[in-house]
Amino acid sequence: MTGRHRQLTPEAIRRLTMSTEPWMSCDDCFDEIDRYVESVLAGNSHISPRLRAHLIGCSACFEEAWSLLLLAADEQRTKRRQALTRMRDDLDCAGLPWPDPPINGARRRTP
Amino acid sequence: MRPVWEARRSAWAAAAGPRSRAEVGAGLADRLRSGGASFDEAVRELQVLMLRAAWHQVARTPGVYAKLGARRVEDAVAAAADEATMAVLSRLDTFEGRSRFTTWAFKFGILHAAVELRRASWRHVEIDLVALGDQVSTMTSPEHHAEGGDLERAVRAAIDSALTAHQRAVMTALLLENVPMDVLVERLGSTRNALYKTLHDARKRVRADLTRRGYLTDSTINEEVIP
Repeated sequence: MTGRHRQLTPEAIRRLTMSTEPWMSCDDCFDEIDRYVESVLAGNSHISPRLRAHLIGCSACFEEAWSLLLLAADEQRTKRRQALTRMRDDLDCAGLPWPDPPINGARRRTP
Repeated sequence: MRPVWEARRSAWAAAAGPRSRAEVGAGLADRLRSGGASFDEAVRELQVLMLRAAWHQVARTPGVYAKLGARRVEDAVAAAADEATMAVLSRLDTFEGRSRFTTWAFKFGILHAAVELRRASWRHVEIDLVALGDQVSTMTSPEHHAEGGDLERAVRAAIDSALTAHQRAVMTALLLENVPMDVLVERLGSTRNALYKTLHDARKRVRADLTRRGYLTDSTINEEVIP
């Protein structure tokens, strides 16, 4: 993997220039994510500005949050689609720099 | 044909015994904390939960069998489940009951499995951070100026002039080359927190540069990049 030249797509420009304020660390995100997921499953989700900023700024934490939501939805026998719709709404996925993962399989970066 | 991971996951679920999903995890935190006679059984239940989370993550990682093969996937799952079990046990005192114990525990299983699978998938991929840092610089050459729009040139210039070499390499690897965060963490001997902070600061610098040159109207709003 070396210096290939590439055009910056609008998607890439959005990833590069998005605001990820207010600051939140990955560890703090990890501490909060289970409570957020439970609130989504309960239908009364509330996402803090810092958690939202982190999830749209950190693809690793976003993928894991998405995965946790699906697993917890199965565990609690909640409909996946409803839960994912609520999370999409919370994150305002129109501004999400990562492709929207499908419900039954993950978008995945490939080496 | 039934996916391999489904068969494996079912086998692990069967190992949990006849308990229903609702029963698994009920009172588990208390039994893990008690250290009494039921502790060993509680740890086995926790291991089953962590294996379930790990196989769930495998199922959400398309192509992982093609990349790694069944044996390495199974090894990664087993390692991740073991690490997640230890992590849950070591952080049990931080569980405050503000979410279900299973949801709280699952996040450890997913994290460890995701990290393990990302790293295993990229184990033999070379990442030349110096070249990645230079890549954006070379994109600001005259022939590249002829391509793309005004905003694209401004973003390239901001990355080239406003960032340190380290910030540039990290930003390019994570956002343009899609190197997983955990892979970069491993290669740089860093932490996820530290790398995300580097990325956060790099975005801030790029935005400040674009704002100064009139391409952003407000440094706090994502959607205000002027095309």
